Amino acid sequence: MNTSDVIIQSIAFVLQWQNLAALVAGTLYGIIIGVLPGLGPSAGMALALPLILKWHPATALIFMGSLYKCSNYGGSITSILVNTPGDASNAATILDGYPMCERGKGGVALAISATSAMVGGSIGMICLVFSAPLLARFALKFGPAEYFLTAILALSVIAAVVKGATLKGIIAAGLGLMLSTVGYDVVAGHLRYTFGWMPIEDGVPPIQTVIGLFAVTQALLLAESAGSISRIGKLVGGFWEGVITYFRHPYAVMRSAMIGLIIGILPAVGQTSAGLLAWAEAKRESKHPETFGKGEPEGVIAAETATNACMPGDLVCTIALGIPGSVGSAVFLGVMIIFGVIPGPMVFKEKADIIYSLFIALILTSFVLFLVGMTIARHLAVVTLLPNEIIVAVILVISLLGSFALRYLMADVMISLLFGVLGYVMLKRGYTPIPLLLGLVLGEMVERNYHMALIISRGHYSIFYASPICKILILLTFLSLAGPYLGPTWKKIKGGGKMLTKG
Amino acid sequence: MKEKLNLSEIAFKLVLLLFFASFYLLAISFPEKSKSFPQLIALFSLVMIVISLMMDFTRKGTETAEITDVDDTELKVLDEKARKAKKKRFYKAWGIILVAAAAGFLGGFLFTAFFFFLGFALIFGKRENLPKNIFVAVGMTVIIYFSFQWIMDVPLLHGILW
Repeated sequence: MNTSDVIIQSIAFVLQWQNLAALVAGTLYGIIIGVLPGLGPSAGMALALPLILKWHPATALIFMGSLYKCSNYGGSITSILVNTPGDASNAATILDGYPMCERGKGGVALAISATSAMVGGSIGMICLVFSAPLLARFALKFGPAEYFLTAILALSVIAAVVKGATLKGIIAAGLGLMLSTVGYDVVAGHLRYTFGWMPIEDGVPPIQTVIGLFAVTQALLLAESAGSISRIGKLVGGFWEGVITYFRHPYAVMRSAMIGLIIGILPAVGQTSAGLLAWAEAKRESKHPETFGKGEPEGVIAAETATNACMPGDLVCTIALGIPGSVGSAVFLGVMIIFGVIPGPMVFKEKADIIYSLFIALILTSFVLFLVGMTIARHLAVVTLLPNEIIVAVILVISLLGSFALRYLMADVMISLLFGVLGYVMLKRGYTPIPLLLGLVLGEMVERNYHMALIISRGHYSIFYASPICKILILLTFLSLAGPYLGPTWKKIKGGGKMLTKG
Repeated sequence: MKEKLNLSEIAFKLVLLLFFASFYLLAISFPEKSKSFPQLIALFSLVMIVISLMMDFTRKGTETAEITDVDDTELKVLDEKARKAKKKRFYKAWGIILVAAAAGFLGGFLFTAFFFFLGFALIFGKRENLPKNIFVAVGMTVIIYFSFQWIMDVPLLHGILW
């Protein structure tokens, strides 16, 4: 049976009522899970697993796939409305999503997010339905040195672009990388920097850190001032304004979708990097970069489209290679194995019906998600009009509960509070916590690949610039770091030249 | 004219400097493979902080010092008042957070939730809404209890005391 026959059969299968019901249930459950800070797709899938064990494998995977995809949208809702990403992957959305809320445009930002989920997710899935086996082969060309440099590139781009303070961004990224070394080290298994405190033996927990850096910090900032999140005290613009704004930026959409796709197929780089890189690229390409970070709709478009386009790539890597690109896809990989779908290049032949059913269901999920978003966006945006004293208490309780519920430890609440203080101090001193978070999330991967590359090269550092991919990555890293300094210098030289010509 | 040094900025950088330096020194006792990466990161970050500090000390600026003709005394007073009010609210919020966290350690997370709702309602809410706010705080705590302890089996009443 050829691929087109399998695709037609899969469409018929997905349109059966029980599969459609699983898809809608996964969508709604995913959004709810995403909205709760701390309960990301991994926790959501783990909680739902006992309920679906007796389902048909394809139906179960459709449910889990929809849940996984939609939890990202749920996370973007809290990123936009209360400046708290539901998961690390939503970190880029807050950069412009929340400032849009402050200007009363929460509904517009949510509409952009829902449209991004539909368009970005669909572009990603459609591309991958046809090119998945090919992309899986390209990803195999990446060795440890390439992965190491990709992560460094991601960090440098974020450090260089966020808020324009490159040096502060680099220091924050260094802090994140440093904190990622806490706990058992990935190579020798030696316990580092725990000072005998058990809750951090497996490392500084990223979800509790996200909650602290964003939710607690945000609660403290809101507590400082009376009033509401929406500074103008009313909602401006509706859902369709957001949809129209989205389609007015076709170039940004395509560029961000491509970034998301490429990052997605690189194992372990993940959605956080994709969203931040796309946002940074959108700012760099923009004619008015100064508006980014202050409520620029294009910033939300870039971050959300890339994150949503990244997820299918991430899934392909998980399915075709058995290498998960994120914690969520790692749990998804586990779910696949439980249902007898063993990941690997052969899965596209042996279980083609299940895999293509999943892909088609995920395309359909994008549209269901859009409809759900259209229904709830305006109602959810009302949150931004509530008095701060209510919002602060709710943010603290829900987010710290998310932190506590992961391991049932009050120590996790303490970790979140400590990072809340750190996030607050950093923001007051002009440091953004996003590079810190990215450093923490990517730290383990950076260190593992750093050591693996050195083992392969028998200690020769030349491995980090040996391959053409490495050279390109080094060049891009240099350009991203030097860009903020070279840009104005180049403009000065150009300006000077013009003046000389005029004179 | 030299721009005024931002002392809190310098202090924050010095704290970071101390943090990275101590992480570098602590790594000396680790096995070879465990120490190379953290030391590399610490060293790199230390260099970045030193450069940043040097830039702070050498930065020049004139804009703030040049606008002296405008009488902005009233604005300054208002600014100072707003700043003080913000600070006061911030410390109050931290007071609530610390009390709520301590209550959670003693009696379980449910107490943390209750103290958050009650604390913010009492201290930041309007006086005329006091009975309503207390009712909402109790109601929210009950909702949290039923949705998480009963439905999701999260042990919300598990503290040092019981």
